[in-house]
Amino acid sequence: MMERIVQGMAPADVVKRLQAADGYYITNTARDLSQSDFKNRILLHTDIMAAPSRERAGYFSLEITGGASVHVDILRKQVDPFLKLEILREKMPTTMFQTLCRGVNLFGYRPYPQNVIRFTVREFAKYVDVWRTFDFMNYVPNMQAVFEEVGKAGKINEPCICFSTGPEHTNEYYVSKVQEILDVTGSDIILCIKNHGGLGSPRRIGNLVDSIKQAYPDLPIHYHGHNTDGNDIGRITEAVKNGAVIVDAADASFTGFYGPPPILSVIQSLKELGFAAIGIDEEAVIETSEAIRDERQHYAPFESQIKGFQPTVQIHKLPGGAMGSSLEQAVKGGFLDKMPDILHKELPRVQKELGNYWSVTPGSQILWTTAVSHVLEGERYGNPSGDLRNLLLGKYGPFPFYRPEDWIFEKVFGENWKQILEDEGGVEDIEDMDIEQERTTLQERIGSQPTDQQLVLYLQHPNDAVNFFKFTEEFGHVYVLPPSIFLRQGGFEPGETLTFTDHDGKEHMLEAGPSIVNDDGETSVYLEVDHYQRQYTFQPDLVEGATARPATISKEEIKILATSGDIRAPFAGNICEISVKAGQEVKAGDRVAVMEAMKMQTPLTTEIDGIVIGIAVKVGDALQPGDQVLKINKDE
Amino acid sequence: MKKKILVANRGEIAIRIIRAIQELNYEAVAVYETPDKESRHIRLANEAVWLGAGPRCDYLNIEKVIKAAKRSGACAVHPGYGFLAENPDFARACEEAGLIFIGPSSEVITNLGNKVIARRIMAEAGIPMVPGTQNLSPGQAGVNEALAFAAQYNYPIMLKATSGGGGRGIRRIDSDEQMRAEIPMARAEAKAAFNDDSVYLEKLVINPKHVEVQIMADREGNTVHLGTRDCSIQRRNQKLIEIAPSMLGDQALLDTICETAVKAAKAANYFNAGTVEFLLDKDYNYYFMEINTRIQVEHTVTEIVTGIDLVRTQIKLALGKLLAFTQKDVQLRGHAIEMRINAEDPQNNFMPEGGKKVTVYRSPGGYGVRLDGFVYQGYTIPKVYDSLLVKMTVHGFSWNETVDRLRRCLQNFVIAGPKTTIPFYLNIVKDPDFIKGDFNTSYLDTHPHLFEYEEDTDEANKLSKLIAEIHYRGKNPYAA
Repeated sequence: MMERIVQGMAPADVVKRLQAADGYYITNTARDLSQSDFKNRILLHTDIMAAPSRERAGYFSLEITGGASVHVDILRKQVDPFLKLEILREKMPTTMFQTLCRGVNLFGYRPYPQNVIRFTVREFAKYVDVWRTFDFMNYVPNMQAVFEEVGKAGKINEPCICFSTGPEHTNEYYVSKVQEILDVTGSDIILCIKNHGGLGSPRRIGNLVDSIKQAYPDLPIHYHGHNTDGNDIGRITEAVKNGAVIVDAADASFTGFYGPPPILSVIQSLKELGFAAIGIDEEAVIETSEAIRDERQHYAPFESQIKGFQPTVQIHKLPGGAMGSSLEQAVKGGFLDKMPDILHKELPRVQKELGNYWSVTPGSQILWTTAVSHVLEGERYGNPSGDLRNLLLGKYGPFPFYRPEDWIFEKVFGENWKQILEDEGGVEDIEDMDIEQERTTLQERIGSQPTDQQLVLYLQHPNDAVNFFKFTEEFGHVYVLPPSIFLRQGGFEPGETLTFTDHDGKEHMLEAGPSIVNDDGETSVYLEVDHYQRQYTFQPDLVEGATARPATISKEEIKILATSGDIRAPFAGNICEISVKAGQEVKAGDRVAVMEAMKMQTPLTTEIDGIVIGIAVKVGDALQPGDQVLKINKDE
Repeated sequence: MKKKILVANRGEIAIRIIRAIQELNYEAVAVYETPDKESRHIRLANEAVWLGAGPRCDYLNIEKVIKAAKRSGACAVHPGYGFLAENPDFARACEEAGLIFIGPSSEVITNLGNKVIARRIMAEAGIPMVPGTQNLSPGQAGVNEALAFAAQYNYPIMLKATSGGGGRGIRRIDSDEQMRAEIPMARAEAKAAFNDDSVYLEKLVINPKHVEVQIMADREGNTVHLGTRDCSIQRRNQKLIEIAPSMLGDQALLDTICETAVKAAKAANYFNAGTVEFLLDKDYNYYFMEINTRIQVEHTVTEIVTGIDLVRTQIKLALGKLLAFTQKDVQLRGHAIEMRINAEDPQNNFMPEGGKKVTVYRSPGGYGVRLDGFVYQGYTIPKVYDSLLVKMTVHGFSWNETVDRLRRCLQNFVIAGPKTTIPFYLNIVKDPDFIKGDFNTSYLDTHPHLFEYEEDTDEANKLSKLIAEIHYRGKNPYAA
């Protein structure tokens, strides 16, 4: 058995070992599994349960952070992404940790300033050994800052070429992309073929790997795929046969439809073909699945509403990581019946119209929201999101193959589109942020000196990070709670015993008691906490949030109000920027605020010249359609 | 047939009296209003009479209470404290109905209940008193009298309703302007509250100690005192903690105060149990304040240190017995502290927690602990009555031992459901000034740290709070 690659090895030594490998290595893609098939909800508690056997299983790496998980960690799992890595590192001292980084977009959805990118990478690189970095436009300069910081930290760069299909997506194109990357990074890297949609046939993938290997025989290739069409093992097999040395898969008992395929199935398929999984202890692989199998039932609410593989991914090309959330939006938005139109007709059409770039974050969200709005509203490109405008302006990078046709620009920007493109077009040069000023602001908001790690989280997601810090202050380290408690639906059975070990290692036992409505309508919940009865009181008015409120005015009415300077929220979302101050003079077309929904930002503009006389909201407010944002008095 | 005595009260004091009646081998008749239908005092009594739907009107309805006593065949009525206890009309109605009123005569209650008459009696007997006025004359004349008094004694001055008491109907005046403004308001308030708009003034003694003397007198005028109590720890003039004997340390002074109390009682022609209240200024000058003509909440501390059952004695004296002990038989032994465990939130201005169900009630036990309460696990505290749940009285040979025991008992006391004063008291028993016995009526205002406590600080309780919310909402709102 060939030797394992373990945490702490120098990147050059890792590359050497990969070059000499007689067989292939496996990355356990736990994070991508969680994101693709469980809406990113798999808790640290479950990863801790899996840790001992995952450590023994002998993976090349465990992909356990990055992608959307950093945000979801603080927003929905209430776990510190750094603490998570620290705890897992302690339990898994030899396994390398891997992340997925969106280049200039880091772990978010739009570009960050260079100094924020570097600061963030430096902090995460203390725990993360392998940095898989991509850009959805395959625009190499967007990844450069990350490459440099990873290199400085002595960690392994794994730049991606994002893969898709279509006439433009030729071997020649991808081979030239690899050269572009190598020109920047030097040769001590691993190249990732990032097949986030699970696109192409096994033959196509084998063919691509072969072309790259022909051009760069010493370049270790890591094939990343998704099993959306049920055939990723076919692609993995062809990739390995043609020279890929690392492949992605996940623990069988949690595999679903849109994430990675089961590790053991990969091993079994390749073994017959004479390829050995280097360093892998098959028993430990099996043991991991058994260790966490019973936990899966508690994540049921977060599994895809629609069951079954989606071979039509070859048509709509949605990335596995976005399948679950897209279907959820369709269910919540009540347009599940429109999905065939959206997925099989409009999405491919929009994709072609917008340059056939790679459908992956944040580009996939732009394609998705554009297609959805086309189908739901009937008018194509009539109501462009802010991010679509930025895409067309080239803010994310140049279109890789061809620019969208003029009529789309005209539809989105109006008659003056050429001028606008000339004035505003091109990759955005984002000014550095005053990080020390942000540190002071954060200190004011949380009332104590923030750590560098807290500051990093704050710079990524300011409001969500502050909420998370306050949550932890109030509720403690909740990662210790198993999914059977943390994700419980419908409350606990009377007399049900709940046990957990807290952050300090102390065991606790709780017994659920009765819930009693008091005379004044409050509900008291009783729990026996370590045999000591505690009472928790809840006010009834908090039960139904603003979400239950129906929209009171129609879309047409919102448009009519806008002509009189009464700016209303056009859709449900959060205010992420207020661009004007009360008393400020504005001209028609000026941006007055920015709203965010489904991770997409949309500017609100004034239709009239006038003076802002009142602002009804503040940054972070959640609005329903028709809620007032601000009021402008017309110039007379 | 056994004698029957009606207990014209509710809550813990009703139970206290029922116990004494039953120990005397008599039968106790309880009364109740509808909101009290689950109260334990009803179940402990030998019989119970429903007075009406209440709240707080049938317990005060003299006619209904007298009728209940007559119908049930009671020969005597014990009024407890509060409600009708110091209402001379009730004492008179009992007398007229041929019922023994367990307490002083209606005439004594009338005299001592009227602050101005009481002051006059005490002045005549040479009892030291805080400088004060008679009832102020009506209208502008009264205001002029007030301003003249202020000119002589200086501010601050207390403006008091003649018929007030128990901390009600008192306001502090610091200037002539305020005096002019407040007199009409105080009159209107007193009129509404006590149906008597007369008011008078007293010089304010700043941050005094509140020391009171328990007295007991029989029909022949034999009058003894049962030592002092310190009731300085109060909030908004309501006592929270009472201690026997006073911690003054100057035994000669305490003896003098006790003798003065006996003298005051005799001057008032006092009968049965009563309390003579004094204020002590910072130089230990003492001033007569008032005589309470009832058994008091804090009587337990006196019972503990004297070994004399005050309620039993009250009943026996009322039924015609003479005092079975003399002054020299009254020996004080050790210290006693009583804490009123109220269903209140000290951190929210002692807001009452009525309406809440007591889901857990685990009381402390062991040596030197006495509990006078009426709630039980599963009992919902009525919103319409006061918030006292249980009085905890502890006894110790030394002061230190007593405080140690108090701390232990508070730590052992578990009441879940309503918020209580227990965590606040736990801070008090750990406060160095309290441990030294150094406190006056400003204690709560000058020790704000007593209000700083958290009930859910450790990790398990923080997590439990989330678990409770997950349970309540049927899902985790922070993982949605």
